[in-house]
Amino acid sequence: MPPPAATNLGYTPPDGGWGWAVVFGAFISIGFSYAFPKSLTIYFKEIQEYFSVSYSEIAWVSSVMLASMYAGGPISSMLVNRYGSRPVVLVGGIMVCTGMVLASFGTSIIHLYLCVGVIGGFGLAFNLQPALTIIGTYFQAKRPLANGLAMTGSPVVLFTLAPLNQFLFDSFGWRGSFLILGSIVMNCCVAGALMRPVNKRVQPKPTNESPKRNGGGEEAETVNTGAQSADLLNEDSQTASKGQSNVHKLIDISLFKHRGFLIYLAGNVIMFFGFFAPVVFLAPYAKHLGIDEYSAAFLLSIFALVDMFIRPATGFIGNTKWVRPRIQYFFSFAVSYNGVCHLLCPLASGYLGLVVYAVFFGLAFGMLSALLFEVLMDLVGANRFSSAVGLVTIIECGPVLLGPPLSGALVDIFGDYKYMYYACGVFMLVPGIFFFIMHYYNYKKLDEEQRQSVAVEMKTSEETVELKMNQDDKTVDAADG
Amino acid sequence: MSASWKQLSSQILLLLISCRHINTKTSSPTQPPLAPITPLKTDVRSIVLKGESHTEKMELVNPVNLTLECTWTGNQNKLPNITGYWRKDGEEIQNSRLSVQFHNGQYNIQQVFSIVSEENLGNYSCVFGNEAKISFILEAPQIGEERDKPIISYVGDSAVITCKMDDAKPMPNTWNWYRYNGTEKEQIFVAAEPHHYEIINKERKTRLVVHNLTEADSGLYYCGAVYAIGTTMSHVELKVITFMEPLKPFITIVVEVVVLVAAILLYERSQSKKKATAGDGTTADQKNMLPQGDDNATEGSSSMRQRKV
Repeated sequence: MPPPAATNLGYTPPDGGWGWAVVFGAFISIGFSYAFPKSLTIYFKEIQEYFSVSYSEIAWVSSVMLASMYAGGPISSMLVNRYGSRPVVLVGGIMVCTGMVLASFGTSIIHLYLCVGVIGGFGLAFNLQPALTIIGTYFQAKRPLANGLAMTGSPVVLFTLAPLNQFLFDSFGWRGSFLILGSIVMNCCVAGALMRPVNKRVQPKPTNESPKRNGGGEEAETVNTGAQSADLLNEDSQTASKGQSNVHKLIDISLFKHRGFLIYLAGNVIMFFGFFAPVVFLAPYAKHLGIDEYSAAFLLSIFALVDMFIRPATGFIGNTKWVRPRIQYFFSFAVSYNGVCHLLCPLASGYLGLVVYAVFFGLAFGMLSALLFEVLMDLVGANRFSSAVGLVTIIECGPVLLGPPLSGALVDIFGDYKYMYYACGVFMLVPGIFFFIMHYYNYKKLDEEQRQSVAVEMKTSEETVELKMNQDDKTVDAADG
Repeated sequence: MSASWKQLSSQILLLLISCRHINTKTSSPTQPPLAPITPLKTDVRSIVLKGESHTEKMELVNPVNLTLECTWTGNQNKLPNITGYWRKDGEEIQNSRLSVQFHNGQYNIQQVFSIVSEENLGNYSCVFGNEAKISFILEAPQIGEERDKPIISYVGDSAVITCKMDDAKPMPNTWNWYRYNGTEKEQIFVAAEPHHYEIINKERKTRLVVHNLTEADSGLYYCGAVYAIGTTMSHVELKVITFMEPLKPFITIVVEVVVLVAAILLYERSQSKKKATAGDGTTADQKNMLPQGDDNATEGSSSMRQRKV
C-alpha cells in the first residue's frame, strides 16, 4: 500500500483509463526530447565539410540544443503551472518543427546554432517538463510504473531515429533531412493532444471538501480546517501554512528550503558529471581497444536494447509494495551500481568483456533513468513537481554540459580511457552513498513528522468536536432561554 | 618538375630496354640514348614462399630500380632443375625464362625492374615451373576512405566534395579533379569556369566546391592524387535534386499530424458532450476540455473558479 506521500492533490488520480494514453503521449515527448539531440550527430560530418568548420564547432550544435533544453526548464515549468501541460507541448512541438525547417535553409553555422540549438532546444524543453508533470497528475498508486514506461521513450525513439536518420541522409542529404525531421518531430503535437487535463471533479476521500484548483494549484484554501490535515501528511505541510505569493503560482522558489529537494539536487549535480560521458565514449573506447567500427556500434545497440527493457521493469519493481515506501533507497542503489559498473569497466578485456560491460551499464543506466523523476515526484509531491523539475534541470545544465568535455580532457591528458572511467565511477558512487545516508536520515525525519501531525490532527479534531458540543449546548440554552 | 622526370625516365627506359628485355609499351627506338642526369634509387624486395602462392602489395611514390627476389622452398618433388619466369599483369615477360637450380634447399630467382611511370606499375609475378607463384602488386599510394554513397545536394545550392590521403601514406605532390562526362574523365580546370568550380588543395586534403548547382552537374567526380610515379584516383557520385523531393514527405507527415490531432480533440469533445447530455450538469468541464490549437489560456482562465459540490 503506497504511503500517502502526496495525496494532498485534492482529488483522486485515475491511475489508469485515459492515463495510459497520457503515458503514451509522454513516451513520445520524452523520447524526442532525449533522443533527438543525440540522433542529429549522424549529419555532423557532412555539415562540417559543407561549412568547412572544425569538429568541435559542429559539436556545439548538440551542446547548444542540450543546454537550451535544460535552461528552458524553469520557463517551461512556469508555463505548465499557468496553462497546463497540453498547450505547452503543442507549442513545443511547433517550435522544434519551425527550428528544423529554418535550419534546412541555413547558410552558416551560426544559423544552425540558433535554429537547431536554441529554438529546437527550447521546443524540446517545452516537451519534457509537461510530459513529466502530467504523469504525476494522472497517477498516484501506479506512478513508478507509469514513469518507467514513459521514460522508455528515450531509448525506443533513439533506436528508431538512428537508422531513420541514416536513411534520410542517404536519400535527401542534410538539408532535406532537416526538413523531414521537422515534420517528424511535429508528432510531439499529437502527444500533446493526448495530454488531456485530468478530470479533477472526481470526489476525493470524504474528509476533504476543499475547493479544487487546476494546474499547479497550491493548498492555500485547504489549510483552514483541521479536518483536512489528514491529507497533509507529508513535508508539504510545513510550507502549506505559509501564505502563497503570486510568484508561487509561477515557480516555487520555496522548494529550496525543502529538505528532500535539496538532497536530490546536491546528489544530482555531482552525479551528472559522470552520467552521460560513459555513453558518449563507449564506441571510441571500443575502437581504442582495437575493435572495428561496426562491432563498436553494435555495443551501443546492445546498451540501448538492455536500457529499453529495464526501464519498464524498474518502474514495475518500484511500484511493488516492498520498494515503493522506500523508493529512495532503490534510487540510491541504482546510482551506486552505476558507479561500481564504471569503476570495474577498465577490467573488461577484449570484445566479450565490453559486451558484458555494455549489458551491465545498460541495466544501470535504465534503472537510474526510470527512477530519476519518480523519486523527485515522491519527494516534493505532484503539485510542486513542475517547479521542482524546472529548477533541477536548469541547475543540472552545468554538469550535463561540462561532463563529456571534462572526460574527453581526461582521456587526452592521460592518453588512456581508464582514468576517465575511474573518475565517472567516483562521480556516481559518491552521490550514491550520499543518497543512502541522507535518505535514511530523511525517512526518519519524515516518520517523525508524520507521527507529530497525526497527533496534532487528533488534538484539533478533539477540539472541534468539543467546540461543536459547546455550540450545540449554547444553542440548546438559547432555544431554552 | 614532372616534365623533366618524364624525359629522364623515357631515356632510362630506352637504356634498360636494350639491356633487360622488359616488355613495355613506350618503346621509342629512334631516340639517341642520353646519359642519365641523376641515377634512379634502387630498392630490393625479397619474399620467401613456403606454400603455393603469396601476394605482396607495394606502394611506390618515386621512380625506382626495383629488384624483386623470389625464393621458394620447393615441394615434395624437389627437382634439381625447374623453369622460372616472370609475368606482368598476367602476360609472360619475353625472354625472362631461366633455368633455376635447387641450391641449399631453395629455388631462387630475381629480376631488376625499372619502375618510372604509371605503365610500369602493375602486378609482377615470378612463377616457378607452373607450381608456385609470388605476386608483387606495385601501385601508387591508394586513397583509403572512399565514399560509397552519393552526395545529395540541391539545385541552386553548392556541393562540397572532398578527398583525403591517409596520414600513414606519403603526401601527394598535388591533386587533380576530373569529371566523367559519359565517355572519359575530363579534368576540371577552375580557370575555365571560375564561378562554377573552386578547388582548394591542402596537402593531404582536397576540396572541390561546385557552385550554382543544376541537375546537369549530377554524375561521377574523380579526385586524383598526383605522385611522381603516377596518379591514383578515387571517385564520388554527386546527385542534384530539387527541393520538391523532400517537400513531399514533409507535407505528408504534417497532414498526418494535423489529422491525428484533430481526431483526438474531436473524440474528446464528443466524449465530454456525451457526459454533458448524460446529466453531469457542470459546463466548467466542457470549457476545460476543449483547448483549440491556438487557445492557450484554457486552464489559466478556469483556475479561479470554485466548484459547487
